[in-house]
Amino acid sequence: MDSRSILVVEDNPDDQVLMVRALNSASSTTPVVVLEDGEETLKFLFDKDGKATKNVESLGVVLLDVKLPKVSGLEVLRHLRSSPATQWLPVIMVTSSDEPADLMDAYRLGANSFITKPINYREFVDQMTVLARYWLQVNKVPDCGSVRSF
Amino acid sequence: MIGQWRYWRLKTKLLFLTLFTSALGISLVCISLIFVENQNYRKQLESELHVIGGILAEQSAAALIFDDKEQLSSIISSLRRIDNIRQVCIYNSQGSIMAALESEDVRTCPELEPAPETGFAKNAYRMMMPITLDQETVGQLFLTSHLEVLRKHIRTFVLITAFVGIGILLVLFILAIKLQKIVSGPIVTLSDTAERIARDHDYTVRAPVSGPDELGRLGNTFNEMIGTIEEQNRRILESRDSLEREVDARTSELSMANRELEAFSYSVSHDLRQPLRAIEGFGQALEEDCGEQLDDAGKDYLRRIRNASVRMANLIDGLLILSRVSRQSMEKEPVDLTALLQEIADELLEIGDTLPTEINIQPAMQVIGDSRMLRVAFQNLLENAWKYSAKGEKRKIDVSAVTRNGSIEIAVKDNGVGFDMRYIDKLFVAFNRLHTPSEFSGTGIGLATVYRVVRRHRGQISATSEVGKGAHFVVTLPVSGKQR
Repeated sequence: MDSRSILVVEDNPDDQVLMVRALNSASSTTPVVVLEDGEETLKFLFDKDGKATKNVESLGVVLLDVKLPKVSGLEVLRHLRSSPATQWLPVIMVTSSDEPADLMDAYRLGANSFITKPINYREFVDQMTVLARYWLQVNKVPDCGSVRSF
Repeated sequence: MIGQWRYWRLKTKLLFLTLFTSALGISLVCISLIFVENQNYRKQLESELHVIGGILAEQSAAALIFDDKEQLSSIISSLRRIDNIRQVCIYNSQGSIMAALESEDVRTCPELEPAPETGFAKNAYRMMMPITLDQETVGQLFLTSHLEVLRKHIRTFVLITAFVGIGILLVLFILAIKLQKIVSGPIVTLSDTAERIARDHDYTVRAPVSGPDELGRLGNTFNEMIGTIEEQNRRILESRDSLEREVDARTSELSMANRELEAFSYSVSHDLRQPLRAIEGFGQALEEDCGEQLDDAGKDYLRRIRNASVRMANLIDGLLILSRVSRQSMEKEPVDLTALLQEIADELLEIGDTLPTEINIQPAMQVIGDSRMLRVAFQNLLENAWKYSAKGEKRKIDVSAVTRNGSIEIAVKDNGVGFDMRYIDKLFVAFNRLHTPSEFSGTGIGLATVYRVVRRHRGQISATSEVGKGAHFVVTLPVSGKQR
């Protein structure tokens, strides 16, 4: 199985637990990293000079909550898209509302997908299964560097 | 020409009036002068002829007594020299003609019995005169004069008066042209001023005032009126400016309130859902992971908790949609309503129940509106039609449209349970339901949302129903999308 991990950025502890549970039930072998806010995420991904850290290399997909304390999810997305190392990293924006404005902003900033946290977690698990499989498949391409050079 | 009188210029009217009345007066004077002259001339002619007749009678009296015809002929032949005498006849006392002077056109002397007509006739003047000697009538004298001289005289007189009259009229014409300016001048100036004010909306202009007469008073009154208008305009502008300032202030207050409301509903949508998600999510986890450890009552409670959280989520969704259709800006465009309805119907048929269902949607229905909002509205209407017709043997939903009086009326009909018309007032009010949750689930927000969408499109919605015989909703939308 693929060793690339899924990064979940989610401030709400309940949602953290539920999302990890859903992801595990979709693919129990994929490691899941959980971070709590935008600032922490930026520190995790970039060093002081703005260069990508080693953590980035192991990432397969990022699930990013739109609404985060301190630095918002959209802000994190903007950082990810402006750095060459993370430019092509698949990012799925997660939100608890389906405000059209959020959706538009997310796609404008280069999000790959957008999911609404549903009330029924069965739906979330289904969505995650499909998305995780898809992105893990995409990232299995051996020479990731050539993809990035496009 | 007189028919166009109303369109004449004031100057022309005044000139025409002056000349017309003058001409009428001059004509009347001329006609009466001619009449008097005619009368006088006739009297003069008459008396002249009487003098001539008298002299003739005197001269011929002696000759008549002696029946001296030669003498009589020589007496009357001397009258040939008088131009206007046409005929002279002398009769003796027995009535026989003793002598006659005749011209080419009058040859025979008239008989004395019956007596010939005397006085003025058409072309002649006739006169009978007794010839007397010592107060005894010895014969009669008959004399005819033609009126050529009279006619000539009158003709000359008419010509002279006509010339004089036309001359006077010419002088009056020149005078009237000069004088009408005194009257029409101020009026024309006033009218020009009024025109300029009306055209340029420049109320600072004033009309020149001519004097203390009515025209002067008119000018003064006009100027006062313009002054009043100027003053009122100034006040209107002032109050408009202050109104604009007030509107601006209100608008900024309102948009601030709107932004706050938006932030509020955004946070509602995020923050109210979060605990619900936890309840539902952990409820599901509990059921899946620890379900074995719960008895039937515990499982039932858990199911109720999860159902309640789903209902709560639906309520929040409904409220969010309601608030969104209320505050979202409208983007009006032509919408293919048939395609939109067909999409909704296909979704319903795909996820729906097993009941045999027939959905008829009239083809080629076009409206102008915000497609997202219209989708919300018709989704609610179709879902309602679907939901409330779920308990029959066969479901039938019809959507049709007619265009009438600049509006399109879209009718959504079902064969469901319908509702009691007594509660029609509550139908479109949020959180009012006409069915219990155990009969039909629902939030009570759907039709309120439909109502809001329709109102924002400047349309109307009405519903008719009978319990057990289905419901009939009619949405009326303006065909023209120009109003906002």
